[in-house]
Amino acid sequence: MATVTNWIDHLNKPAEEVVGAVYPGAGSTETLLVILGIVIWIGWHVITNKSESDELSRLAKKRHGANDHKSNITDW
Amino acid sequence: MTDQLGALTTIFTEFYYWVTVVLMFLIHVGFCMYEVGASRYKHHQHTLMKNTMLIPLVTVTWFFFGWWIYWAFPTGPGIAPSIMNESTALITDDSTFSAKWYLANSEFMAINLGDHISGVFWAAFLLFSWTAASIVSGAIIERITTFAFGILAIAIGSVFWTIDAAWGWHFDGWMLKILGYHDAYASGVIHAIAGGFALGVLVVLGPRIGKFSSSGEPRNIGPRNPWLVTVGLFLIYTGFWGFYAACNIPIFDLGPEYGMEGVTYWTATNIYVTPTTLSGITFNFLMSLSGGLLAGYWIAKGDPFWTYSSGLAGVICASAGNDLYHPIQAMIIGMIGVVIAYKLHYWVERKFKIDDAVGAVAVHGYAGFVGLVICGFVLNGYPSSGYSVGAMWDGSTYATINPLGQFLGAIIMFGVLGMLPGYIIAKVLSGMGKLRIPREVEIAGLDYEMMESAKEDEKAVSSATR
Repeated sequence: MATVTNWIDHLNKPAEEVVGAVYPGAGSTETLLVILGIVIWIGWHVITNKSESDELSRLAKKRHGANDHKSNITDW
Repeated sequence: MTDQLGALTTIFTEFYYWVTVVLMFLIHVGFCMYEVGASRYKHHQHTLMKNTMLIPLVTVTWFFFGWWIYWAFPTGPGIAPSIMNESTALITDDSTFSAKWYLANSEFMAINLGDHISGVFWAAFLLFSWTAASIVSGAIIERITTFAFGILAIAIGSVFWTIDAAWGWHFDGWMLKILGYHDAYASGVIHAIAGGFALGVLVVLGPRIGKFSSSGEPRNIGPRNPWLVTVGLFLIYTGFWGFYAACNIPIFDLGPEYGMEGVTYWTATNIYVTPTTLSGITFNFLMSLSGGLLAGYWIAKGDPFWTYSSGLAGVICASAGNDLYHPIQAMIIGMIGVVIAYKLHYWVERKFKIDDAVGAVAVHGYAGFVGLVICGFVLNGYPSSGYSVGAMWDGSTYATINPLGQFLGAIIMFGVLGMLPGYIIAKVLSGMGKLRIPREVEIAGLDYEMMESAKEDEKAVSSATR
């Protein structure tokens, strides 16, 4: 997976080979990483949307008054 | 980088943008403090989280597609030909500044020893994206779901503002060529579009419960923590310095860039690659800030909330032409923008029952719009670009700055790319039942369960003996 294994050897290469990507998996894994990133991003929306909806429904059912929260103000 | 001058220029430019990004981070810190200060106690934590979560959401989408849009869309597509490839299509070919290099899976979107600029430039623009989304965030506090805000933040931060930047900020943008559009420090490109977008959302979202009496009279729901608001706005001012610097290219040889044989002219340039100086824009930043503060204090009768916001509105209004204005012009323009924005805010509030919780539509939207229009008159006749000067509507050359072009540009920014998409997306989210929190939750407070849980923890801890 390592793109560079020896910096001296790498920097001694012709200039056009020195300048380039040096991250692990360069040239072969980028598209896969993007797909993975998009899945994580969309998945986050799906999961947090559900948890927020559940929280809002639960709280709405309790029908607290506008000042009820004042009894929950902590001293710390 | 084997040539010493080239290496120095590159490394300096890399570091310059990196520093602007760090400075601009303060804008977001300021927005978070400001919003929490403006919200009521029972909504504080959700308000904070809503604004904070736009950071990762806009960042990842800016990486996936936002940055690509900026480089792909300068031609419209289909409106004016690119000066790079003479095509009106999306710029996705092998041109030097093609969107092709900024696809999320490109080797330039990572550590690449041949590219010292893409990452810091990407980040500078990303911080602009956060700002655009954060402007919207403040207006809609205490009644929007975090899910809906996340979608709206991505829409304004990674789609619509980047389209407007491609059109009106990119050196190859069609609005420069056809309209002579000029907006050096983003009166319209960031502020008018974000203010317009917020207004579109507010029309659908509706006011907070209690904001208007049964007879329709607006009630003031003032900031709960004026000190947090104060520090927040000072931080936004501070980050704005970084924003101004980030809108410049710090060092550039314009001779070869403009094709002038044997001419070497090293200078800082604005985003359009026309000359300005960091020194000159420092005059104008401070004088327009001062003009805004002076006018705000006067018109709001010393109200701190509006006075601070007016300082910001003053800078925003003068920003379109602050690369060329005289400092006193910048000050007066800042004052005019503040008076118009303040008056419009209260007129719109009463007339249309719009509850803009922090005055974001006024400070960013109206002041930005007015700033673009004024710029068209004050800078009338200046070239919108250094590459080639031509007639308005020509399309293949760059029109000069003019009042009509700026006015049309302001409508595109505020209305076409701002208010309209904000309204449509909010309508869709509302239709799905995802836009607004339930009425009972708004009354109880978004933080009710968190506060209740904290109180129970407090009781348990205080009664504990070991």
